[in-house]
Amino acid sequence: MTEIIDQHQEGKRDVTFRVFRFNPQVDSKPYFDDYTISAERGITVLRSLNYIKEHVDATLSFRAFCQAGICGSCGMRVNGISKLACTSQVWDELDKCREPGIIRVEPLRSLPMIKDLIVDMDPLVDKMTRYSNWIDSTMPLADMGKKEFLISEEEFQQYDKATDCILCASCVSECSILRANKEYVSPAVLLKSYRMNVDSRDGIHDLRLAELVKDHGVWDCTHCYRCQESCVKSIPIMEAIHAIREDALESRGPRDTSGAKHAEAFMEDIEKKGKLVEATLPIRTNGVVWTLRNLLPMAMKMIVKRRTPPPPPLVKSAKGIKIFRAMFREMTEHVKQDHLKSHKK
Amino acid sequence: MKPFDIVIVGGGGAGLYAAMEAMKTNPALNIAVLSKVYPNRSHTSAAQGGANAALANKAKDDSVEMHIFDTIKGSDYLADQDAVDVLCSEAPKIIRELENIGTPWSRMEDNTIAQRPFGGAGRPRCCYCADKTGHTILQTLYEQCLRKGVLFFNEYFALNLSVHGSRSRGLIAMNMKTGKVEAFPAKTVIFATGGYAKMYWNRSSNAAGNTGDGQAIAYRAGIPMKDMEFVQFHPTGLRKSGLLVTEGARGEGGYLINKDGERFMARYAKEKMELGPRDLVSRSIETEILEGRGFDSPAGKYIHLDLRHLGADLIKSRLPQIREMSLNFEGVDPIEEPIPIRPTAHYSMGGIDTDNFGRTVMDGVYAAGECACVSVHGANRLGGNSLLDILVFGRIAGHTAAEEAGKFEPGSISEEELRESVEEIRTRMQPSGHYERYGALREELGQTLALNVGIFRESSLLHKGIQDIAELKERFKKVRVFDSSDVFNTNLQQVLELKNMLDLAETVAVGALAREESRGSHTRIDFPVRDDEKWHKHTLATLVDGKAIPGEKPVTMGRYELQERTY
Repeated sequence: MTEIIDQHQEGKRDVTFRVFRFNPQVDSKPYFDDYTISAERGITVLRSLNYIKEHVDATLSFRAFCQAGICGSCGMRVNGISKLACTSQVWDELDKCREPGIIRVEPLRSLPMIKDLIVDMDPLVDKMTRYSNWIDSTMPLADMGKKEFLISEEEFQQYDKATDCILCASCVSECSILRANKEYVSPAVLLKSYRMNVDSRDGIHDLRLAELVKDHGVWDCTHCYRCQESCVKSIPIMEAIHAIREDALESRGPRDTSGAKHAEAFMEDIEKKGKLVEATLPIRTNGVVWTLRNLLPMAMKMIVKRRTPPPPPLVKSAKGIKIFRAMFREMTEHVKQDHLKSHKK
Repeated sequence: MKPFDIVIVGGGGAGLYAAMEAMKTNPALNIAVLSKVYPNRSHTSAAQGGANAALANKAKDDSVEMHIFDTIKGSDYLADQDAVDVLCSEAPKIIRELENIGTPWSRMEDNTIAQRPFGGAGRPRCCYCADKTGHTILQTLYEQCLRKGVLFFNEYFALNLSVHGSRSRGLIAMNMKTGKVEAFPAKTVIFATGGYAKMYWNRSSNAAGNTGDGQAIAYRAGIPMKDMEFVQFHPTGLRKSGLLVTEGARGEGGYLINKDGERFMARYAKEKMELGPRDLVSRSIETEILEGRGFDSPAGKYIHLDLRHLGADLIKSRLPQIREMSLNFEGVDPIEEPIPIRPTAHYSMGGIDTDNFGRTVMDGVYAAGECACVSVHGANRLGGNSLLDILVFGRIAGHTAAEEAGKFEPGSISEEELRESVEEIRTRMQPSGHYERYGALREELGQTLALNVGIFRESSLLHKGIQDIAELKERFKKVRVFDSSDVFNTNLQQVLELKNMLDLAETVAVGALAREESRGSHTRIDFPVRDDEKWHKHTLATLVDGKAIPGEKPVTMGRYELQERTY
């Protein structure tokens, strides 16, 4: 049995944690502190931070609670990626360092800084409230607790993955839109909105959707997929965002925002001609008034430089449009099916 | 600040349910929920298994009566039988209510709420949502509280009750974001702060914050603690962190192996082997380690949970979570290596003494959930009854407080009282010559508890434990807070949490020494059998002049007579 014992003789490696520091009471701007410790195999980033706090620098501030990847408290950026410190292995992170042996630890982005690695979560809670991230039950009050809704396995599967979300805000931190626009609804709130909207027990689907299609809502997403890539629970967040958009187009039509209208016009062109009718795209997306006001100067310049797109009647259907249309229809069907599947485990 | 009708301390399942129910009972009331973490971070989220309710969706012949019997028997007959009646009778209603407001329960083929078998239950009555039941319940409750506009004070750390004569006038708490000590004058206060098993520190499966804050505050205010000696140990905690490896690992056929390569459970439970009852397996592992057949490491002694013979395919398909956990927290892949484990403290049966309505002995002070002891779990809690407890009694406490708030005059908290609380904090932050590190004390507390007030207890060990705790309390006076900032001073918070754990640890050890019998989770080597004649009663611990004074309380019977507890 000595073999097994030997396997547990733990190796140690020296690791430097380069940690973001900021105390609003004394610091005019953030800086980094280096802490070098000896880390054994199997130790997590959070345990290392705990060690530093207990033995090296008690002022180092971060949140941590369950330490088991379920409460979502310790979201932070490790080597530039937003994740949970408690489920990140130090030795794995050593392979991802930009500078050998130095692990960078920073707070989540796009949420107000409080101190060191602690950011303010209130904006996220406010958005959950604004977008009604709850079930408004259709069960009459008098019947509450007396009977169950009957829910099919198929319906449960639609929100099973989405209810894995622990609101760690890693997606919030990675979202490219939020970095430019703090008012943007944010991926986690979209995911939760999706989860509520597909729940048959809920009675405010239309109301929630009406809020989601407004400015800073679901149409602002640019499909960068950063939220999905960084999700610590591997939830297909982008699929949820697509689903809300499809739902919005289906139940509200393309009347809401330029984003929705743009997507609709885009699809229409592609299906009809296999290419874009660029000359009218801005009008169909933003309306005549907006186009005249915003694009007229550019249109003039384009005329001068002779770079105007061809007028609509001159845009001929692309070669092989019939085959393309069949493929297009098939793909549309596939997307629908894939979307259904991706929310099943 | 305008006085509140109800201040709820704690934003887990019990606290949130209390808030919802209080608002429903009387929408005109001014209610606040204080939580030291964002409510959705609360430890309720860690409960995986489920919540028991005799819905009879799975076993058509299940009944509330059977649930009551299982719970009483599981408690080793120490639970109050009228309280168990309430727990089990309310269960189907509360599970359906949660379903009605959005909890995504797993479903049966007929589209009703799914139920599965659980330890100690005669019928499959544990309602679940995959392996994330507590998480989804907590999310649902938090969502509903946001819907109803519950007033939250997130990241507030509760410090003291303001007590005047026989009643409370409200709560004093620190706003972590500003460091400011604030008064919450209130007619009623509900404690729902969770358990105290984290005092075993690295030998506990609990969240870092399960430090018994509510219990410690109530205890210091003179409210008695009940049955504090009963702490449940789970057999398979990870060596370094104490985090839980669920029973599924052994259910699928995992072996427990000592350092001689022996499947030692053959010596303790020849037939059931690794699948013996929780307390028996915990005691067996502990015996192996105590008798020198455990492995040694800097992180402490341990034994192996070996899954390798199950094969990579089975481990990947049936035990993916366990594999992920051992990779994340031990750096060990169970496909290639055995998992280092040892028993871990994970539930506190004891807590603030309350009646069946959540009332404590102090007017206007209530408690619910793991921080309270009604008692529905007695000497040993059944799996699936803890989530149920927080829901049922959280709701009851919320309802009672809402009904009774009108009885009490609005409280007011004086500037002087606030200043005292601030002063106490300030003294910890003063630099002094010789000082102690809170981290070391915290670890030593966990060690002495695990060793002397752990799975096996015995008079001399308990005396040693009590002495150690007294010394640690003495040394605590010299603990220094190094972080001098007001903003989010987690250093200060952890020191205050340690104080709470030290105060409560004494009650656990004193209760364990007093109880000269073995019952449920409490095993005395020197008193190995249950002694109904002398000890069929609750123990109490009340703080008088800085000392834990023992007391007792009869067990309410009325349904089932005492029987031997065999499975």
